[in-house]
Amino acid sequence: MTSIAMENMDYKQEVKNKTSKPLLWIGIVSIVMFFGGLTSAVIVSQGGGGFINIALPDAFLVSTIVIVLSSIAFHLGLLATKKGKQQQAKMAVLATMVLGLTFVFTQYLGWSDLVARGYYLSGTSQESSYLYLLTILHVLHLIGGLVSLSIVLVKTFKKRYTPQNYLGVEVSITYWHFLGGLWIYLFFFLMYITA
Amino acid sequence: MSTHHHHHEDFLFKYIFSTDHKMISKQFLITGFTMGFIGLVMSTLFRLQLGWPGESFEMVELLMGSWQENGIMAPDKYLALVTMHGTIMVFFLLTAGLSGTFSNLLIPLQIGARDMASGFLNMLSYWFFFLSSVLMLISLFVEGGAASAGWTIYPPLSALPQAIPGSGAGMTLWLFSMAIFIVSSLLGSLNYIVTIFNMRTKGMSMTRLPLTIWAFLFTAIIGVLSFPVLLSAALLLVMDRMFGTSFYLSDIYIGGQVLDHAGGSPILFEHLFWFLGHPEVYIVLLPALGITSEIISTMARKPIFGYRAMIGSMMAIGFLSFIVWGHHMFVTGMNPFLGAVFTFTTLLIAIPSAVKVFNYITTLWKGNIVYSPATLFSVGLVSTFITGGVTGLVLGNSALDINVHDTYFVVGHFHIVMGLSAIFGMFAGVYHWFPKLFGRMMNNKLGNLHFWTTIASAYGVFFPMHFLGLAGVPRRYYTNSEFPLFDNMVDINEFVSTFAVIALVAQLIFMFNFIYSAFRGPRAPQNPWKGTTLEWTTPVEHIHGNWYGEIPAVYRWPYDYSKVDENGEFLYGDDYIMQTTPMGENENDGGH
Amino acid sequence: MTVVIVIAVLLVIVTGVQLLKIAELRAKSKGENIWEVKEKDGKFQASLMIVFLIAYMAYFFWQIYAWGDRVLPEPASEHGVPYDFLLNLTLGIISSVFVLTHIFLLYFAYKYAYSAKRKAYHFAHSNKLELIWTIVPSLALTVLILFGLNNWNKIMKPVPAETEHVLLELTGQQFTWTARYAGEDKKLGRSHVTLIEGANATGVDATDEFAKDDKIVKGEFHLPVNVPVQFVFRSIDIIHSAYMPHFRSQMNCVPGVKTQFNFVPTKTTAEMREITGNKDFNYILLCNKICGAAHYNMQMDIVVESKEDYEKWLAEQKSFVE
Repeated sequence: MTSIAMENMDYKQEVKNKTSKPLLWIGIVSIVMFFGGLTSAVIVSQGGGGFINIALPDAFLVSTIVIVLSSIAFHLGLLATKKGKQQQAKMAVLATMVLGLTFVFTQYLGWSDLVARGYYLSGTSQESSYLYLLTILHVLHLIGGLVSLSIVLVKTFKKRYTPQNYLGVEVSITYWHFLGGLWIYLFFFLMYITA
Repeated sequence: MSTHHHHHEDFLFKYIFSTDHKMISKQFLITGFTMGFIGLVMSTLFRLQLGWPGESFEMVELLMGSWQENGIMAPDKYLALVTMHGTIMVFFLLTAGLSGTFSNLLIPLQIGARDMASGFLNMLSYWFFFLSSVLMLISLFVEGGAASAGWTIYPPLSALPQAIPGSGAGMTLWLFSMAIFIVSSLLGSLNYIVTIFNMRTKGMSMTRLPLTIWAFLFTAIIGVLSFPVLLSAALLLVMDRMFGTSFYLSDIYIGGQVLDHAGGSPILFEHLFWFLGHPEVYIVLLPALGITSEIISTMARKPIFGYRAMIGSMMAIGFLSFIVWGHHMFVTGMNPFLGAVFTFTTLLIAIPSAVKVFNYITTLWKGNIVYSPATLFSVGLVSTFITGGVTGLVLGNSALDINVHDTYFVVGHFHIVMGLSAIFGMFAGVYHWFPKLFGRMMNNKLGNLHFWTTIASAYGVFFPMHFLGLAGVPRRYYTNSEFPLFDNMVDINEFVSTFAVIALVAQLIFMFNFIYSAFRGPRAPQNPWKGTTLEWTTPVEHIHGNWYGEIPAVYRWPYDYSKVDENGEFLYGDDYIMQTTPMGENENDGGH
Repeated sequence: MTVVIVIAVLLVIVTGVQLLKIAELRAKSKGENIWEVKEKDGKFQASLMIVFLIAYMAYFFWQIYAWGDRVLPEPASEHGVPYDFLLNLTLGIISSVFVLTHIFLLYFAYKYAYSAKRKAYHFAHSNKLELIWTIVPSLALTVLILFGLNNWNKIMKPVPAETEHVLLELTGQQFTWTARYAGEDKKLGRSHVTLIEGANATGVDATDEFAKDDKIVKGEFHLPVNVPVQFVFRSIDIIHSAYMPHFRSQMNCVPGVKTQFNFVPTKTTAEMREITGNKDFNYILLCNKICGAAHYNMQMDIVVESKEDYEKWLAEQKSFVE
């Protein structure tokens, strides 16, 4: 087997530059369809009656604020990287990480609140099953975001990103913003459904 | 030439963990065909039972061992076989096997790219597919047997092991296998879409893409939009099965006790399932239509008639496929108004389908058709697409569906229009691009024999099913002998089953030809069928990166066959002009 | 036996390999490539296309001739008449499309087989032609859609409460059917799976006033001719489908949901026996949604008879409290 331009690092980089973001975007489309399917299921189930109007845990509101803040922090980090202000970038990405973990924790508080009020994943009502399912699935997707964020964090601390080369940050931030948007959608959706 | 030292490592990365699209294509092809053959044997086994119910078959006992008592199939094993046959054929052979093979092979080669956007994701896509295939086959051997609720796995039947043994461990494995399969399919689709949009060579505008690529693009888009919804449907089913939720279950008394589940609805599952399920039909069909468009044009030495209409009709079919799923649910008690809407959207699909058929026929008209086995299978596809397609007008019409729903009429319809058309497209593709896959040629005489025996036996199997359906014979019945009403169907069932056995034997011809030619077939020249597209400019041996030196630029659309000048002589002296040939000064580019 | 089969298969494979090798060597000795499609071979395949056309069409018409009388007999319900009309209209249209397109397809496939003397006609598109075959199917479809929707809306309309009718509940469970007549008060009593106990196999609520005169039957149920029947369908375990082919009627039975369908039987069992020439003929209710191992044998007989006979039969059935 002969290798031509494939072994050429420039070529590989070029392909990466051209295709990383489109790959992510189409991946996001499929995640949107996944949650779209689930939330339509909620609406169909609600039509069948049997929803008991569970008040959303307050923790979920805190989560919403936390995730918005984390997106802002990450965005500041990207701007700093673009301008080559590495110290600022480090602080911003670190803050994003902390806020991301806080989000997971506040979600956990939300679930504890539900349990304390006697609503479980199964056996209570479909409504509470959906509440758990949608929020847990969102966190599972968020863990993917945290993994990508930690790579960005390490690389930022190792000063791998320059004002010319920050594709990794852009890919990671796109997904992170998407997760934020997804949560806001889910939050309002759940508020509407449980009202 | 490479001079690697580590031969062991070389083998591993060349054949197993390859990121090269051509190798991955072959992996998909061979895994897909293996699964397909298993699915075919399953169908022959249950056809033996349907043709001669209660008869003892030594062959069956040999193949299925303790599954059979005295060579007679048990009713629950029959349902397990039906379910596994459907699942394997629809997903493993005709989704992954077809799309995975040809999207991987042809997308980089025909658009002029060195490989897929992400070779790594592509490799993952194959290995997820492999893993899901293995899990699906393992499920045959677990306690209670394989999933037995039909390939559509409607709950509550699929949720309750009390209802059928196959809904125990077998169904659990089915769901895990399918979840992995969906991931594989999504990874593949991502790659195909991004590669087509971002990695075309110089001059390869969207209107210069071969129709194969358009078909793969629409297929991938449909996949990305519909498979995640199936995943969500499966997830809710897993929750109901394992965690005691009640998304799909309510008011059930089974095995002498009332279940705790309350408030759910199985109809929800049907909606979610068919939101994927119907687009899935086109995920299976579009690649086959793309492949045959390309082959018919090449072998008829004529441009495909109505290139833009072909693209437009694929787009219309793809779009409509998302708003017709309710036609699978006309008799679930759905709101009659909704039923009317779904009837309307469903019947609309006939229009783009008819356009495609007429365009195929016009492409053959006044052509100069070279008859390779690929040509035969392509013409065969047009025949099956018509034969199976027209009966869709009966089933898609809610007012008529009520009495043929879930009868053999449906079985005949979708096996011809989806099953046969897709597998014919796949065979056509294998015969046509075998030189690109293995660098050798398949034997034409055996190929021709394979085609004629296959189409004859296929119509022998599926055509009579329409009559069974119009007589009211339900599908998924282990035997029809319990109803005096169906006593006069015995000879039709024997007729069908006889042809099913012949169809199986006919595929052995293909298998022999395939294996022989892959190892011993005559060496292929670079462009055996005198095609115009870029894959025929690559060297016959597989090289990483596809082209030595620069990737060629493209100057024209792919269908400049038999183009003549004002004196009626062929331009450039031959009946085909490669896409890489620059436009002549006064040449009409036809708007491409 | 197994050994013999294995040896036979091996011999076939070895012979096949040898034959292919000989064919390749022969082609090579003539200076040809075996994989090239020669004009003569192409013409032969093309002529097979005509053979295929004739055989396929003959097969199609032979099936209609041989099996055409095995399809369902004339409908035994009121809406079955327009149903059969629309079905036959559709089958007529699609059969002609099927035959015509096959004639064009296979005739062209035959006629335009490769010849070195000819050139293919470079014909890439024609707006006129493409417009024609978009519009013509659209017109045919409009007819079918309009007919279909008209029928559909009529079929799905429930029987108005003020019309005299029979109210009948069919309950599916693995693997048997139970029918329940509404009784004198013309109302079905409540029912729920939690009430299933012993003989009360479908969970009828004994405390409900409306349930007391309900009549539960198994094995077969009777219907009066020319009186609308309003069906209500239930399932107590998994999805079943109540399929009554002679009445052109089918509806799923879904656990947790009540579905409905109605028709007017127009022919008594005796009349249908005469029509079909089968003195053992019986109308039948069968399950048409995969429901488990004995799905293939989940049935109930239906008897359609005169109103007097029906009332006599119904009076003999015990009511729920009895």
